[in-house]
Amino acid sequence: MSQTKFEDPRHRFDRRSCRHTLDGTTAVLHCHHYATLYCQLADDAEFADGRALLRRSAELAFHPVLSKLLADRGLSELGDRIAAVEEYFRFCGLGRLRFEQLGPTSAVARMERSHVDEGWIKKWGNREKPVNFIGQGYLAAAIAAVHSLAPASFKVTETESIVAGAKSSRFHAVRA
Amino acid sequence: MTVDRKQIIDTMSKLQVRGNEDGLIPAFGVLVNQLPAGVWNNFADLLVNSVSADLVEPAELLLVNAAHECGYHTGYGIITSEEWKAGVRPLMDEPTPENVLHGAFAVFTAWGWGRTSIEELVPKEKMVVRAYDYYEADVVQQGSIARPAAYMIRGVSAAFMELAYGPAYPNGCRTYECVQTKGIECGDDYGEFVVTRAG
Repeated sequence: MSQTKFEDPRHRFDRRSCRHTLDGTTAVLHCHHYATLYCQLADDAEFADGRALLRRSAELAFHPVLSKLLADRGLSELGDRIAAVEEYFRFCGLGRLRFEQLGPTSAVARMERSHVDEGWIKKWGNREKPVNFIGQGYLAAAIAAVHSLAPASFKVTETESIVAGAKSSRFHAVRA
Repeated sequence: MTVDRKQIIDTMSKLQVRGNEDGLIPAFGVLVNQLPAGVWNNFADLLVNSVSADLVEPAELLLVNAAHECGYHTGYGIITSEEWKAGVRPLMDEPTPENVLHGAFAVFTAWGWGRTSIEELVPKEKMVVRAYDYYEADVVQQGSIARPAAYMIRGVSAAFMELAYGPAYPNGCRTYECVQTKGIECGDDYGEFVVTRAG
């Protein structure tokens, strides 16, 4: 388990450019409308495999951020590395994430609260299929970063979803 | 028209934003998130560059529409929120549609979407917005692209015009439209967005 207290990313607002950065990376505020509309767009865009594109977009954006977070804080213990990626998820408003299991070739994670799922329900109500493509991408990035591996090292499948009525969302990751 | 834009940006950019114990950020009547800009940029860029040439414009319009709908609902949430009443409303003399528009673009700027301001405003008819340092331009790191890519600013600018001059919420969405006429990503010094009534 984690022995290290999570230190929030360093926030800076540049008055000249009016940009926000977290640990040096440009970050922006959006809301559940935007996140769920992007998920809906991805879900509808079968002509471009939109769901995979959004997963990949999130993974590519989060992987360098999480890798830097772990490196900057000098976290080498597995428990600390896992706790840091769980905490970053919470920090940026995506929900509450907890790994149930993580090994070199597989992982299982639970999302007990979810910005995307709860935002979707708020906006449109429940649906049967998963919509949290951003969360899936985050997890793929997080697991790869924890193991110091490159993006696309893990394939993540959402097996239970808050949006479909489950108490929490469950994700299963396997080494690609 | 008196809106203390600088003070609004100063106040709103200082709001502490971090997830609560549940990892959620309830504010402005919505759930807020604070993600790397790359999440949004990557998806937009991958989408428009993954489709065949005949589907590029439809894909762009889907991205604009997502921002348009978001801007309409979130914009309404912002201008009716306690945060607005406490932090923005006192910084304008009267809540006229024009003042609310200027205030909304100050909040837009404070949220890190782009350093935007209204360059021209013909009430109910036309608005020209200029944007510097907007994150959507980051899809190009070197060189330039032929088609402008600030889909979010396009959608949100039209939505803000609707909230100022359209039918009362929630019946005004899609009554205005926006075209991007200049873009940093296209090699221009700034982005320019022209909002007019929907045709």
